[in-house]
Amino acid sequence: MVSVQSPPGRGERPYTRVLLLPAIAMAAATGAAVALVTAPARLAVGWCGGIATVLVIATAAEAVRRGRALRKQRGEHARHSAHLEQRIAAHEHELVRFSREIIPAALQLLSTGESPREVIRKLGLANPEYRDLPAPQAETLLTVLKIVDREVTMRDAAARSFVSVARRVQAIIHQQAEELREMEEDHGRNPEVFDDLLRIDHGNALIGRLADSVSVLGGGRPGRQWPEPVSLYSTLRGAMSRILEYRRIQLSSIAKVSVKGIYVEPVIHAAAELLDNATRYSPPQTKVHVTATEVQTGVCIEIEDGGVNLNEEARARIEGMLEAAKAGVDLQDIGEHPRLGLAVVGRLCTAYNMQVSLRASAYGGVRAILIVPSQMITHEPGVGLAHGIGATGIPMTVGIPEGPKRAPKRRRPTSPKIPATVSLEDDDVPEVTEWTPNGLPQRRSRVKMPLAERLAQQEANEKADREAAERGEYNPWAAVAEPEPKPLRDMSAPDAPGKGLEAFWEGLKQGIEPGTHPTDFIRNPTKYLHLLNDPAPTEADDEGDLK
Amino acid sequence: MTPPQRQRRDPAPEPPPPQEGEGKVRNPERMYVVAGPDGERAELDLVTLIVARATDPPPSASPEQAAVLRLCAAPLSVAELSAYLHLPYSAMGVLLTELLTAELVQARAPIVRKQRTDRSLLEAVMNGLQRL
Repeated sequence: MVSVQSPPGRGERPYTRVLLLPAIAMAAATGAAVALVTAPARLAVGWCGGIATVLVIATAAEAVRRGRALRKQRGEHARHSAHLEQRIAAHEHELVRFSREIIPAALQLLSTGESPREVIRKLGLANPEYRDLPAPQAETLLTVLKIVDREVTMRDAAARSFVSVARRVQAIIHQQAEELREMEEDHGRNPEVFDDLLRIDHGNALIGRLADSVSVLGGGRPGRQWPEPVSLYSTLRGAMSRILEYRRIQLSSIAKVSVKGIYVEPVIHAAAELLDNATRYSPPQTKVHVTATEVQTGVCIEIEDGGVNLNEEARARIEGMLEAAKAGVDLQDIGEHPRLGLAVVGRLCTAYNMQVSLRASAYGGVRAILIVPSQMITHEPGVGLAHGIGATGIPMTVGIPEGPKRAPKRRRPTSPKIPATVSLEDDDVPEVTEWTPNGLPQRRSRVKMPLAERLAQQEANEKADREAAERGEYNPWAAVAEPEPKPLRDMSAPDAPGKGLEAFWEGLKQGIEPGTHPTDFIRNPTKYLHLLNDPAPTEADDEGDLK
Repeated sequence: MTPPQRQRRDPAPEPPPPQEGEGKVRNPERMYVVAGPDGERAELDLVTLIVARATDPPPSASPEQAAVLRLCAAPLSVAELSAYLHLPYSAMGVLLTELLTAELVQARAPIVRKQRTDRSLLEAVMNGLQRL
């Protein structure tokens, strides 16, 4: 504690020394006056002088006393104010520490999922200085933590309810996609129905993407997983299938790699959002070009549109939007982002360590670059490219609830499905489609063209073929030109069909009187019993008989 | 004293690893991307024969188009193509129409077996039977 007292001795001179000077002066003045005045007045003057001296001394003594009291009080005051200032400084220090150290530490602990009381307890454990907080501070801290906790819980609950609604929508969409897929198989022969089904399927996919977006922004995981690697081409076509104007997308020179099954959905979703942006912000008659090349860090998917060029300001704004999204966008902030897609892309990029950037394109539009890291890529053949073909796709759902338990439809396919087990090689099994009145199966030709017309067409085709052959052109149909019927065999030749059988019969007829049926011995066995006793004819005889 | 355990804000449990599919071709494409619903369809029958005019598919061809061109080196019917590609007939129609427009394939009505062949075969059978 700093002392503000004046050094001792300066103001503490004894009364006698202080009062001596006025007393001596007064006494000297009184003595001089007594000496100067006339004798009769001397007594009075002496008295007066004495009294005055005493009064002066008394006054001086009082003044000195008061002065001392004043000085003492001032000292007290200075000490007091210094003490107060010190306390203020200490309080300020406490407040600064409270606001800059304790509350952030407490909030950090709270964000790890502790309850407010736990946070305060752990705070004391972590740093002993924080253990004995003054009661008001502790109370304030508890109140603040409780309020924050409640708000966080409420936000959490809101986000969770969003995600859970989105997941339910996803479930229904998923189920519907499966059913649509079956319907497309069932009615594949019926172009009108088929086209309508495709339109519904497309709309369904659009709803699905929206539900996926809400789920991703709410911190959920993509609801689907693919069991096997999917080729990048199929993945990008999957992304195409989820946007409105998929016809404007042009895939060219896509790297021959596959995306690992569990990462297919994030790549599809991020690419779909970027493709959607590209088609949305470019003129409707322009194409959007997509290329994918392998780079050091993985695969680089470039999406170029022919839209409005991105000036530096807009680019900075969009990059800022992406950065904000990467840092984590709350569902509550969605209203401020008209470009919901970029928020989703940012979220997905953070979650899966992908990189995205937007640049000015050589076409004059925007070039979006999505870099998929190499750990998400595999060089195994994807399901799509293994067959080179095929557009079937039913993923498994993960973490999304089951779809509504709808009664299964009794399907009446207008075109039969070909099960995978049936070999396409032997198609000799007649397909029974109708039954005749007497219960026999009837095979109905599905060819719509009447035979006469087909024959006429055949004639025309053959004529065209002949002309082409005369002109010496390559004719791809030559391979299937009808094979010339083989000339019938010469029935007199020794190896003609049926000759062996004939010889057999001839052999049987040997030794039987003419007019008897060759198999007569089966009908009347008793008649031939004598043959059992006869010696068997020699081999030489048999040989000779054949000729 | 054990601290009260709270459930919220826990990370969601990891989803189970994906199981093996039931042998289906699994792939995220939808059918309308392969063959658009508004595509034109030429008059193609199930038995119409398709043959490729070019052996090498152009680089811009989609996998399906490339597969059709590969398969159709020798003429194949639309029904066979549809079965090999696992694509419904209607989708096949759009796909083939695109290829026909691009003049990459040719279509032709199927070959009809003539009565003449049948007659000679029948005669042969008849001869054989008469010899019995």
